[in-house]
Amino acid sequence: MNALLRILGLPACFLAMIPGMAPVVRALSSSVGQKLLMAASGLSLVGFLVVHLAGNLQLYAGEDVFNAYAAKLHSLGPILGIAEVGLFGMFALHIGLAVSTAAMNRTARGSAYAMKQTKQGLFVLPAGGASNWMMVTGILIFIFLVSHILDMKLKKGFGVDYSAALDASGEATNSFQAVKAVLQHPAHSVLYIVCIIALGIHLSHGIRSALQTFGLHHRNWNFIFRWSGFLLAWAIAGGFISVVVWAMAAKNS
Amino acid sequence: MSSDTLNLTLRVWRQAGPDKPGGFCDYQLDGVSTHMSFLEMLDVLNEKLIAAGDEPVAFDHDCREGICGMCSLMINGQAHGPDRGTTTCQLHMRRFASGETITIEPWRATPFPVVRDLVVNRSAFDRIIQSGGFVSVNTGNAPDGNSVPVPGNRQEVAMDAAACIGCGACVAACKNASAMLFVSAKVSQLSILPQGQPERSARVLGMVAQMDKEGFGSCTNTSECEAACPAEVSVSHIARLNREYMKALVFADR
Ligand code: HEM
Ligand code: SF4
Ligand code: FES
Repeated sequence: MNALLRILGLPACFLAMIPGMAPVVRALSSSVGQKLLMAASGLSLVGFLVVHLAGNLQLYAGEDVFNAYAAKLHSLGPILGIAEVGLFGMFALHIGLAVSTAAMNRTARGSAYAMKQTKQGLFVLPAGGASNWMMVTGILIFIFLVSHILDMKLKKGFGVDYSAALDASGEATNSFQAVKAVLQHPAHSVLYIVCIIALGIHLSHGIRSALQTFGLHHRNWNFIFRWSGFLLAWAIAGGFISVVVWAMAAKNS
Repeated sequence: MSSDTLNLTLRVWRQAGPDKPGGFCDYQLDGVSTHMSFLEMLDVLNEKLIAAGDEPVAFDHDCREGICGMCSLMINGQAHGPDRGTTTCQLHMRRFASGETITIEPWRATPFPVVRDLVVNRSAFDRIIQSGGFVSVNTGNAPDGNSVPVPGNRQEVAMDAAACIGCGACVAACKNASAMLFVSAKVSQLSILPQGQPERSARVLGMVAQMDKEGFGSCTNTSECEAACPAEVSVSHIARLNREYMKALVFADR
């Protein structure tokens, strides 16, 4: 556990070597500081998901509109590159801190209880609310992420037939057809739906948790905080799942 | 009405010392009055054990009226037993059914090492308080009661936080063994009151640093602490601690 924490702390150590950064790194290395960074990175990723979903929903406007959107995105060139590096950084930060705080928490408990029960009533999932499933759902999201980059970005999806997406030079440049090819592959549609449900669970606790971490808690507003987090989570998940279902339906018709 | 006595099987954690191995021992206890408190039931068990020449079960207690925070038992997997807003000493045996097996464990957290049987060492909380959970005042005559005005609503919130009795149930119940509810209760109480202002930013930074140093976990906003807290301290204080921490990081002079 200690070795793991030391490895995860390496980026922070390097960052602290930059003149002027040491106090910032020290301040954010505390347990509360790490949670603030997790919340910030988590909410940034939520922001990305909203934009990404808006892009994906253009699939419904047909092949030409979607491919024009994809072409425009790619024409951004270096700006897209920078955005992708930033996105990668957010994921790395979020996952790194998830593992580091989880290791901390495990060490803090020491030996497990022989019997442990909750006193909370409202539970969405067995064995606790969504908050008890953050690591499991997070890992599912990570598996999805790896598959998703292989499928959509590198066009090397496992077992996917990209022939409909090929251009004259034999490259899979037709994004609309590539998306359909991936989502119509049975194993991929199952994996995508399962992992996006995991995302919905993750965010149904994550968004509210991030608000609380940022100190947003007020008896007049808690209703809004709780339910807007929940609704946004399932709106995002529902939106993505609808795309998978749409592609599957298009195959059968 | 059910009968006034219970026959119980107690599964009790026994551990001879901090570094000794521990394990569960089963005891049969018959004729337990439903009017007893949980601790009185353990007294009866101990009298029986002593009479039989066995070592009694060590457990913490002091006031037996819910104000000292000494009693600290994990009863059937719940800190202070099944009721909300109740300490172990306030728990009545009528909450249990005859024939039931009751599992009794100590708080489990690395910063709370077991001293013996069900007794854990909670000095980690004392060190957190020493690192900022106080206000500095001049000794001498007590100031006039109304010389420092505190609006009623602030008094209420500060009092809700001050209700913490330092029992450690929040740590025990939290899946991360986080002490955030305990620390936030003190940070919150003193940040709201005028007397707490001079040390306000040093307090939150110092107490969080000590909490981490003691080895408590980090908060995942699960709210199990709030449900387990006998003083019903709310997680709204954790949100205030987070605000105090951010403010101290960015705006404090030192
Ligand atoms: C699209 C991807 C993801 C998004 C949008 C996201 C979003 C969030 C948000 C908003 C939070 C709450 C922040 C807080 O208050 O702590 C959170 C917490 C967390 N995330 Fe993620 N996350 C993502 C991926 C992942 C992955 C890949 C993992 C793990 C491998 C992960 C593990 C965790 C854990 C362990 C927590 C802390 C649990 C808690 O505070 O209760 N997340 N996430
Ligand atoms: S916050 Fe509640 S559970 Fe935690 S130490 Fe104080 S009284 Fe006990
Ligand atoms: S013995 Fe004092 S609170 Fe229970």
